Amino acid sequence: MWHRIKRYSLVLPALLLTLLLFFGGLVDGLLKSFGYFPAVGATSFTLVAYQDVITSNTFLDSLSLTVRVALLSTVSATLLGVTVALALYSVQRRVKNSWLLRMIQLPLTIPHLAAGYFFILLLSQSGLLSRMGFALGWLETPAQFPVLVNDSFGLGMILTYSWKEAPFIALLVYPVLARIGDSWYEAAKIYGASTFQYIRFVLMPAIRPAILTASLIVFIYTLSSFEVPYLLGVTYPATLPVYAYQLYTSGSFSDRSEALVIMWLLTALALLVGIIAHRFYRKAYARGWE
Amino acid sequence: MKRRILASTSLVILALAGCADQETREQVDFSQDWSEIQAQAEDTTVNLYMWGGSESINSYFDEWVTPRVEEQYAITVNRVPVNDTQEILTQLLDEKTAGKTTGSIDVMWINGENFKNAKENELLGQAFADKLPNVQAFVDQQAPQIAQDFGIPVDNLQAPWGTAQFVMTYNEADVEAYPMTIEELGQWVQQNPGQFTYPALPDFTGSAFVRQVLEEVVGSEAFMSEEPLDQGAVDELMQPVWDYLNDLEPHLWRQGETYPESLARLDQLYANGEVVMTMAYDPIKAAAEVQNARFPETTRTFVFDRGTLSNTHYLAIPFNAPNVEGAAVVINELLSLEAQAAKLDPANWGDLPVIDFSRLSEQQQNLFTAIDLGDSSLSIEELESKRLAEIPSIYVEWIEEGWVENVAQN
Repeated sequence: MWHRIKRYSLVLPALLLTLLLFFGGLVDGLLKSFGYFPAVGATSFTLVAYQDVITSNTFLDSLSLTVRVALLSTVSATLLGVTVALALYSVQRRVKNSWLLRMIQLPLTIPHLAAGYFFILLLSQSGLLSRMGFALGWLETPAQFPVLVNDSFGLGMILTYSWKEAPFIALLVYPVLARIGDSWYEAAKIYGASTFQYIRFVLMPAIRPAILTASLIVFIYTLSSFEVPYLLGVTYPATLPVYAYQLYTSGSFSDRSEALVIMWLLTALALLVGIIAHRFYRKAYARGWE
Repeated sequence: MKRRILASTSLVILALAGCADQETREQVDFSQDWSEIQAQAEDTTVNLYMWGGSESINSYFDEWVTPRVEEQYAITVNRVPVNDTQEILTQLLDEKTAGKTTGSIDVMWINGENFKNAKENELLGQAFADKLPNVQAFVDQQAPQIAQDFGIPVDNLQAPWGTAQFVMTYNEADVEAYPMTIEELGQWVQQNPGQFTYPALPDFTGSAFVRQVLEEVVGSEAFMSEEPLDQGAVDELMQPVWDYLNDLEPHLWRQGETYPESLARLDQLYANGEVVMTMAYDPIKAAAEVQNARFPETTRTFVFDRGTLSNTHYLAIPFNAPNVEGAAVVINELLSLEAQAAKLDPANWGDLPVIDFSRLSEQQQNLFTAIDLGDSSLSIEELESKRLAEIPSIYVEWIEEGWVENVAQN
């Protein structure tokens, strides 16, 4: 009995610190979003900041941009990631080589900040591709190069996220595929299934829970991430995290409550999506084929 | 007590770590002999928090200031770069909330809005600037641009360190005749679409550009009156400025669909030839960038005929600085003639001094006049003759918010 207590007491300091810093920050943010900010002499609880945020046009413009970019990024990263996983599966069935898997994992090791900057250097109107076009005589001025970053549509962000998150999706989907033996494929062949039918009726149902879980994680990540939109977005509208940052650092401490309202709305959304993803995953595997 | 625990969880963390001492700080007695203060500062470390976004400023510190201070006073300078001065104030505010009377910041580099915020929230320590020997010897403390920081009385809570002035930077190879007024700039932009833009506010330099427009389109008299203006009056005064900027927008880089998010990005666009003008609140920066081969050789600067905005930037000691004596000694050294002259040299930084030249001997003046400011820079005399005062910082905040509403969202 006391063995167990001892074991738990060893992780207690680390656990306590995590709880304090993580939940402390969350609680502090929540208090400030209700206007409780003793350092500047505000000690009452109000919903004014929530009302101000939700009714402002800036917030609504930000929200629609953020959701659009997150949805499109998720869809494109998922399509790309699943394609990569399937391609890897079909290659690995014939030849086993681990370096291919490592190659695909490469973008995972690069921080989002670096990835965002990398895409600016590559795709801006005076970037690497544009310079190559100039050197080859296809372009005369930077302005002739198409606008791919810092565009209103959010293409730069979507491209960066697709490149960055697709390997993550592939990484979650591929192990499920790898566990499916060759015997399934042989059996499907005997019953006269084409390769396409095999993918559609046999592989897809098996990997669907993994795909959905991975996409939900990517969706909530792209919804609340800061670096990529800060580097690749436009001045207005900014995505919600960037808008919150602008409010937080605007110089007047009163805007901070609004910034924290936005962050808390995102946090609540992340929790909700997290719960859905978790339930979904459990249900899929409770019924599952394993 | 209950409220205080609720107020900030960082208090709990500090209490756990056992480093929250609840006594108020003792004031340093600046009436004692300066050599006494120097003696107390020996073998200490001074943590200097400053905006670290400029290569040349950082190297001026690391290669010139730090070794010298180490050698002369046996003080170790620990320069902590921050991305935005706001972050320093955020940290101080959090420390104040947590009742942390011994912080980690000894010296911070602030002015304008940040000074106003720091002063209002009582984040600054005791008054000290007039106690420094070099301030007494070389600085005209009565000069309005030194005694007031963006319209806020300095009250010796910070010591002046340098002077900044807004200049426009252009590439001589691409611009035949530079515009003499804001109105001419507007015409030039219409004739040369896509060649000009300015950083999105609240970027410091972008914000200065908008105030520069205000200066010429409306004038700043109304903002300088004793009676503070209310938000409605400011909105009304700013309307012609928004109109000017909105007329400009379709002719800007990328048709004004987006603005560079920072001056660093605008400088990059200029260096890459996407635009042919940039700007700086630092008249010698262009020369330094040419020296570093980042800007083309044909880079030149100009100021508008009516003059350009100018302000002073300062060094302050926070309320909970752990080493006030060391901080005072370092700030005093930064105001020595040698340090001010080295700071002016474009090879180091290229920041204008706060020294009152009329107090210097011929020989002392030579320290400054001997420095080659480079072909890209205007002479100090020309800059001095074209200086305009900044409007109070309360309005700067409103203008930045107004720009987002009236220009960016259009």
